[in-house]
Formats: sequence, structure tokens, C-alpha cells
Amino acid sequence: MRSEMDVYVPRTLDEALQQKSAHPDAISLAGGTDVMVEINFGRLRPAGIIDLTRIPELREWRREDSHLFLGAGVTYSRIVRELADFVPLVQASRSVGSPQIRNRGTVGGNLGTASPAGDALPVLAAYDAEVVLQNRRGTRSLPWHTFLQGPKKTAMAPDELIRGTRWQVVNGPGSFSKIGTRNAMVIAVAGLCLQVDQDARQVRVALGSVGPTILRAPEAERFIAERLTWDDPGAPVTDEVVAEFAELVGRAAKPIDDVRGTARYRVHGCTVLAGRALRWALEERKAFKWL
Amino acid sequence: MAKTQADELAVVGKSLPKPDAMGKVSGQARFADDLMLPRMLFARILRSPLPHARIRQVDASRARAMPGVQAVLTGEDLPIKYGILPVSQDEEALCSEKVRYVGDPVAAVAATDEWIADAALEAIDVSFEALPSVMSIDEALAQPGEPIHPRGNVHKAVALEFGDTEEGLRSADHTREDVVFFEGNTHLPMEQHAAVAQYGQDGKLTVWSSTQTPHYVHRALGKVLELPMSRIRVIATPNGGGFGGKSDIFAHEIVAAKLAMVTGRPVKITLTREEVFYAHRGRHPVLMKVRTGFRRDGRITAMQFQSFLDGGGYGSYGVASTYYTGALQTATYAIPRYRFEGVRLFTNKPPCGPKRGHGTPQPRFALEVHLDKVADELGLDPVAIRRRNLVQPNSQTVNWLRITSCGLEACMDRVVADSRFLERRTAMPSGRGLGFAVSSYLSGAGTAIYWNDMPHSEVQVKVDRGGGVSVLCGAIDIGQGSDHILAAIVAEVLGVSLQDIQLTTADTDLTPIDLGSYSSRVTFMVGNAAIAAAQRVRQRLAEAAARMLHCESDELSFRGGQVGRRDHPGEAISFAQTVQAAEAGEGLISASGSYTPPKLAGPYKGSGVGPSPAYSFSAAVVEVECDPRTGEVRVPEVWIAHDIGRAINPVLVEGQVEGSVYMALGEALMEEQTFRIGVHKFPSMLEYKSPTTLEMPVVHTSLVESLDPEGPFGAKEAGQGPLLPVIPAIANAVYNALGVRIDEIPITPEKVLRALAQPSRRVGPKGVPRFAFPSPIQAARPPEWEGK
Ligand SMILES: Cc1cc2nc3c(=O)[nH]c(=O)nc-3n(C[C@H](O)[C@H](O)[C@H](O)COP(=O)(O)OP(=O)(O)OC[C@H]3O[C@@H](n4cnc5c(N)ncnc54)[C@H](O)[C@@H]3O)c2cc1C
Repeated sequence: MRSEMDVYVPRTLDEALQQKSAHPDAISLAGGTDVMVEINFGRLRPAGIIDLTRIPELREWRREDSHLFLGAGVTYSRIVRELADFVPLVQASRSVGSPQIRNRGTVGGNLGTASPAGDALPVLAAYDAEVVLQNRRGTRSLPWHTFLQGPKKTAMAPDELIRGTRWQVVNGPGSFSKIGTRNAMVIAVAGLCLQVDQDARQVRVALGSVGPTILRAPEAERFIAERLTWDDPGAPVTDEVVAEFAELVGRAAKPIDDVRGTARYRVHGCTVLAGRALRWALEERKAFKWL
Repeated sequence: MAKTQADELAVVGKSLPKPDAMGKVSGQARFADDLMLPRMLFARILRSPLPHARIRQVDASRARAMPGVQAVLTGEDLPIKYGILPVSQDEEALCSEKVRYVGDPVAAVAATDEWIADAALEAIDVSFEALPSVMSIDEALAQPGEPIHPRGNVHKAVALEFGDTEEGLRSADHTREDVVFFEGNTHLPMEQHAAVAQYGQDGKLTVWSSTQTPHYVHRALGKVLELPMSRIRVIATPNGGGFGGKSDIFAHEIVAAKLAMVTGRPVKITLTREEVFYAHRGRHPVLMKVRTGFRRDGRITAMQFQSFLDGGGYGSYGVASTYYTGALQTATYAIPRYRFEGVRLFTNKPPCGPKRGHGTPQPRFALEVHLDKVADELGLDPVAIRRRNLVQPNSQTVNWLRITSCGLEACMDRVVADSRFLERRTAMPSGRGLGFAVSSYLSGAGTAIYWNDMPHSEVQVKVDRGGGVSVLCGAIDIGQGSDHILAAIVAEVLGVSLQDIQLTTADTDLTPIDLGSYSSRVTFMVGNAAIAAAQRVRQRLAEAAARMLHCESDELSFRGGQVGRRDHPGEAISFAQTVQAAEAGEGLISASGSYTPPKLAGPYKGSGVGPSPAYSFSAAVVEVECDPRTGEVRVPEVWIAHDIGRAINPVLVEGQVEGSVYMALGEALMEEQTFRIGVHKFPSMLEYKSPTTLEMPVVHTSLVESLDPEGPFGAKEAGQGPLLPVIPAIANAVYNALGVRIDEIPITPEKVLRALAQPSRRVGPKGVPRFAFPSPIQAARPPEWEGK
């Protein structure tokens, strides 16, 4: 049924926050690449829409000391163009949908949808990012895993907006990779981000599309942190160690069968992606001075 | 010889832009959904949410009462059944008793806008009584509950035998049996189906539709609406892709027409992308068993082929599809004894029908994979075993197909040489492989869909005093380039430029009949009709010019907009002056030409499917790169050669060949129309995976010109044939790369991994279900096969 719907077009963040608190049942709209699909298929009938695309504050990113702050409204296309230093984030952004989707879609929208298949999310998890929320009274920051509560469920209150996400800039190689039927327009069957944090002496691994929400692989992370010679990037790592690490990552996955793939194939996919991502990182670690 | 003749031609044989190209890329082409008429209403269709159910009651009173709703139709408003084939009149525009698949139309609404129409659909209360559903070939044969149609779930079972195949198998040195499966997939045209209908105060109905077969739509509208055909006008709008998916009669076309009649206002209906997956009529899932006997040297002694087609909820083209799964095996290989048994089953899925290659890609996959396996067993290479059995030009197959021009061997030689197949296939780096396959396809079905003796294609040419040439023909350009073929042929014969040609096509009021853009028939049949029409006009113009130039009419040449004496280059008058002289003498100059294919069907029942005035041939080598850890298969390079007879416009032929490679790649590696609990798994372009440009390999296309004696300027088909060899070549390449046999299309990463983990190194069906085929019709063999 077509029903009348209010569309708010705030020009400033303040205006948006006011509207969100006055109309908590209105839905925020960034690129609309998730929202419009839901509306067009009749699965979503919001009382109103708050269009966030005209708010300059949401479209910025900046370095804050040793952190990076990424505004919720920065599109994937801009990330690819402007944030080349953040290799896994760029790789994930480049793998989203098609050029049209990347021109519209935002990381804030990816967080808002909170799909386990959101490609930016494993990267934020591997960065140990926090999500910055704001309402009329102020802001709060939640660790990514507190923000993401389950499939399509977040800790965001009805009067809040996602301001952006922030993480400590990591020193070390990393990558994002995914398995899907084709090279574009593909929702991942399995996605993985691996980030080496040379300073914290950690290897962080996050998985997408293989559980109700984004998963980290703590056992695998502990295992590999103990096996690496942190002061000597040239020290060899045996195939057995890589294989065991990959195996442990696979065990962290909790997938289900669905139309895109079977649970078995997804676990297997995580194992393959993990082994490859670790190999790439170790190679890169040798080639550059991260120390 | 092809070369010198081509040099004399001015338009034919040249790579030129299509006349409709600029309109399409600039957005000026008017597709059905672009049409806007004053006071137009918008219609939507309510579709069944259940795969199999009886309709107890449809209550539309709430919907009718809604403001903006102008009409609601239910099954009782359109009680007359129809279907594309005269033998399968089993569809209702809106179901009245039963629904047979999720998406089957139940009711329709016309309203002042689409949102109101959508809302009204929700206000229609349908009470269903759910019935057990049948979702596979096995289930259909097991017949658990009420059959889908009264006569049972077996739609059609056929059996034909040419020569004693049991004897042929007994006398073989080697026999092999294979069972393979080809999952169904859909056309995925860019443009969704759309139709606009208008019913005038004069009692005349006009329907604009994105259809490949305006003539058949015309007939069906007449039947279902009980209107004389003389009061119906069907105009086919440019098709944004058809691939066979717009060659049926669709419920939305009939519904739009009926709503226009009921409301007296124009009505538009455009299917959503989701509905296009339900309209379907795409590739049948087919389970096949092939058993062949060979001599030690690789020559075939006999073949037995069985196919089980999963037809979906209705007949559609299914009877033809069934025969097609057995018809063309003999068109590439000289098979002396041949038995074909086919059965099509009803299931509770969207009806299957013709998709590019109609019924032949599945058996071609079975056959070409089977031959590779036999070659291995006999110690032959894949090229050698095919050479032993190649069909010869100017021969007749055991099932009475008349082969005339045949460039199959030239196609093979070309791709084998260019890819260095024989040298490289035994020395590929790990994970890489090369595969080879060949195929054949018809240049137009030799028989019409309904039995009649009239021409299949007719063209009218009319010239005007300004030098313009009007060409009228029922053919519809679905992107394949039929507009160009029409214009190019007439321009060639009359010696004018393409820009002088005005086309009027696919309008049943204005244009003479063409049966439609299906079965790769248009270039061959429309082309011949166009030549005939243009030559008649030319003859009359030549007579007028001869009087002016004081010479005989056969001394004249028509070229470059001039009519002149061939041997006296200075003596010429312009084409326009010629027209004026002729018109002054005898009035309007116009003529028509027709094409009726020769009667080629063999002397047995079921011989109507397969015969064609000419066959195209293709050969392909595909290179794959497989990842044994993930099971992913990539295709970096394809070599493909196609016997086109003559390329009237080479760039168009190359486009068809490359498009076929693209479509084959999708079918081979990812596309599948599959269901869960009766519901289509992914009726969207995001989740129904077909390749993107990023997956497109480098394609080396070679055109082989065999100059067909009956084709227009020697031309044959290009639209469907080149798809056929690519799918089995991919399967054969995967075997070459990894040593695994994926006897089941699509070849997904999961199947590759499963095969790698299995001792048999194979994934595929284990057998065919028990089914009692009728005892085969024992057909005589053509004389040349007797005693073989
Ligand atoms: C064809 C297609 C292909 C796709 N492919 C991919 C893919 O490959 N990978 C992938 O990860 N995703 C994919 N998506 C999904 C989608 O593009 C992404 O999830 C994208 O990040 C959504 O961003 P958006 O700005 O368009 O969000 P919107 O649709 O505008 O919003 C999404 C959700 O986030 C909320 N929201 C947005 N911004 C804010 C904010 N600032 N504050 C509070 N809430 C907010 C909205 O209320 C809504 O609930 C695809 C979508 C389509 C249609």
C-alpha cells in the first residue's frame, strides 16, 4: 500500500539530530543502496525518511593523532580514491557491488544494515575499530563488537545517528579477500580480513558471511602471535604453521547453508583465504621495514 | 572465391553500424515501457505464492472498491486456454482452477497508477487449497499426489529409431555409457517484458509488446479474446534482449488487452525483474543418458540417447524442446544407427521453453563430453575422434536432415591451429587446461509452429520519387541485427546506400508476415524474401532505365545510387531519376517477395523438428585456469570459429559469437534456476549469478564462409549456434586441468572440490530413473545409410 511519507532533508548535523530525536521512527538514508531495495520490495514501510546525504560533517574523514576517523557518509568510491594507505579497507571497498553501488554506498550504511555479509565490517573488526554514535545530547563510542549485536541488529538507539568509525592506525601489512561466484556484484560466500599489528604484536583476523555477525578468530590469532618472530620479519614460518593457523581460522567460522553456498564450503573457504592472507602478509612483512 | 565476390558487393559483407545502434545507445529507441498514451492505466498481476494449489475462491470486492482501481480481472474473465503450440493449449491468462508454480498469474488490476495497482493486489483475497508439489524429474515420475495436469505428469514421451541400434552396439569394438545432467537457467534479458494495449471506439485493439513473435501473439489474442484477427493489430517494439524468452504468448499481453477492452482506456503492464524469472520459458533442466558403440579406430557404429526434461508447469514449446534434445546429434557426426527416447515432465516450476540453442545445448554437452571420454579410452585425441566421424557436405543424416554447405572441418582446423590445442593440451601447467568441442545449429526451422503451406517470411519493397526505398517486413529486431540484414540486402540489390532505406517492421497492420525472431531463421528467410522483393523492383526500374539509356535492361548495373550501363561507365542516371521514369510509365513501383523453406521433413512422425534449409557449424577451444584449493574455474581465453555461410555484416556476426560465448560461460559455470520449497531461490539480478564484464575472456573469433547455396548471399545463422560448443569445451578443459569430470552443469566450485575429494574424481548423476518409453517408431533410413 502506498502511504504518505515524510522526507526530511537536513543540511546540518544539528538539524539531522533534532529531526531524528523528534521522529525516532523515521529511517536514516545515506546511499540508499540497502534502504531503497527494502522499500521497493515492500519489506520496509518507514514512517519517514531522513536523508543524510547533504550533511558535510558526515562526509569527512580525518587523521586524529594516531587514529583515523571515517565519517559515516564517505562512499566506497571515495575510500578507493582517497584512503590508499588503508589497504584492506580499499580492497573491501573495491569489492562492493558495482561502480554505481560504490558511488552511492557508504560504510555508515554498511554498519547500519549490520549484515554479516557487509564487506567493510570484517575490516573494521580487524582494525579493532569503534563506532561513534551521536544524538542530540552527545556522542558515545562503542567497540565494533558491542555495536554489532547480531544479524541486522545494532546497539544504536532510535534517536541516534552513526557519526562514523574510528581506529588506531595500524603498523603492519593486511588484506581483505572474499569468495563469491563472480568478480563484481557479488555478496560474499566468505570474506576475510587479516591485519598484522606490528606494534601490538598481534595478527587480527575477522570473518564475514560465515556467522550471525562478524567473527574474529581468537584462537588462531593467539596461535600465530606466539609463532611469529616479531623482531625478525625475515624469520621463516613453516607451511605447517600456516596450515594450522588456517585450520584454526576455519574452526572459528559458524556458517549455515543458504542459497549462496553450503556451510562446508564456507568453512573450507575461510581456511583457504586465511592461509593465503597470512602468506601475503608474511611476504610483505619481509619486503618492508615495519619495525 | 568468397573474396572476389565480396569485393563486388557494396554493402553486404561490410562491417557497418546497425541502423538502430545510435537510437539504442542515445536513449531514443522507444521500448514498450517507454510508451505513454493519454489516460493510460497501469496494470499489475497477482501471482500464486504456492507451487501447486487449487483455487477455492477469489474475492476481489475490496480491491474493486479502492479509489483509483478501474478494473480487476480474474480467471473467469479469460476462460479460453491457449499455448504457443497447437498441441499444448494448456495455459490460462489468469488461472481459474489451479495454480501450477509460484508466480502463476491469478488476478490482474488496472489502476490510475502502479502503486494503487500494487495495493489493490494485496486487497484481493484468494483462498487456496495447497496440493503436494513436484519439484524434480524423479518426483514427477513418482507421482506422489494429484498430477499437475489431468493427463498426468508425463507431458510428452517420444521414441524414434533409425536402424537397429542394438545390433550396432553389439557389433562395436567398444561401447560407453554416460549419464549427465544440465541444470535449468534463464535468459536474463536486460529489458523486462512489457506491453501496452489500446481499444479504440472503432472496436479495434492495438497491442504493443516486447515480443519476438508478433504473429503468434496476434493469433493467440484473436483466440482468447474472441476477436477476429482483422480487428487486432500487434506491434512488436524493439526488444532489449530476447534470447527466446519473449517468443511465447504471455499472460501479461492478454491481460493488458482485456483490461483495455474492459476499461476503454490504454493499459500498460511492465513485469518486474522478479516476475521475469517467473515468466521464464528458459532452458530445461535435462537428465541424459548416452550410449554409443565405436570401432577401434573411433568410428561410431550406433548411438542411443535418452533425455528427461523437467518442463515446469505448462507445455509451452516443450514438445519441440523434447524432440530438439535428440535432433542434432547427427548433424555433426555421421551416426549410422541412432535411437532417441525423450520424455518431458510437468513440475511445479515456471514453464521452460526455448533459450538460445533451444533444446540442443544440453545434449551437445552430453555428446561432446562423452566423445572426449571415449577418445581417452581408445587412445585417440579429442580432435582425431571427431575427425573420424565428421558429417560431410551435401549429405543426409540417418534421421533425414539434409546437410548442404558445411564448414565444420574448417572451423575445427582453425581453432585447433590458432590455440595450438594438440601441442599444448598435454603440457599444460598445473591447474590449467584446454578443452575442445564442436556443434551445429539450424538456420531456421523448416516447419512453422502451426501447420500451414504459406510462406514463412514476406517482404514488401516500395520506392519513392525522391529515391527513398521503403522496406516493410514482419521481422522484429531483438538486438541480433535483423533490421540491418533487411536494409543491407535491399540496398545491395538496388545499389543505394543504407541511409536511403526506410524500415517498417513487425506491425501486423502494415507489414507482411514474418513468423518471428526464433530458431535462427530471420537472416535466412527474411533475407531470401528481401532479395526476391528487391529484385522484382529492380527489374521494373531496369526496364525504365533501359528505355532512357537506350540499352537492354540486363546491361545495367545498380550501384552507388546510380543506374548505368555496365560496359559504358559514363552512361548512367541517378536512382531517383530511374524511379521517376518508372513511376511515370506505370505508377507506383512496389513489389513483394516471399520465402517458403523447401519441404525437408523425413518420412516419419516427429520429423518436423530438426529439418532446416541450412545448418551452421561451430568449433571452440577453451582454456581454463582452476584453483584446486577453492574449486574456482576461470576462463582466460577462448578460440571459436563459426561457419556463417557468408557474413552479411561481419561485426554483427562477431557480436553474436562473442555474446554466445558470454552466455555459455554463465551457463557452464554459474547460472541456475533452482528452487527451495517450491520457491525460486534467487529471482534477482544480484543473486542469480551471470558473468560480468570482469569474467569475460579474451575471445578469438574466426568466421568461416562456406557460401550456402540457398542462403541469402550464401548466409546462414549466427545467433544461437556459437553458444553450443563452449559449454562442453569448458567441461573438457576442467578435466584436462584437474583430472575431474563434472558431469553436471553448472560446474560450480563446490562440485569441483567434491570431485577432487572423491576416488571416482567425478560429480554427476548416477543413473536415470525407471521410465517405460513407448516402443520406438522404426523409421526408414535414407538410402545412403542402408546396409551400414
Ligand atoms: C546491487 C547491490 C550490490 C551490493 N553489493 C554489496 C557488496 O558487494 N558488499 C556489501 O557489503 N554490500 C553490498 N550491497 C549492500 C549495500 O550497498 C551496502 O551495505 C552499503 O554499505 C549500504 O550503504 P548505503 O549508504 O547505501 O546505506 P543506506 O541504504 O542508505 O542505509 C543502510 C542502513 O544504514 C542506516 N544508516 C545509513 N547511514 C546511517 C547513519 N549515518 N546513521 C544511522 N544509520 C544510518 C540506514 O538507516 C539503513 O538502515 C549491495 C547492494 C546492492 C543494491
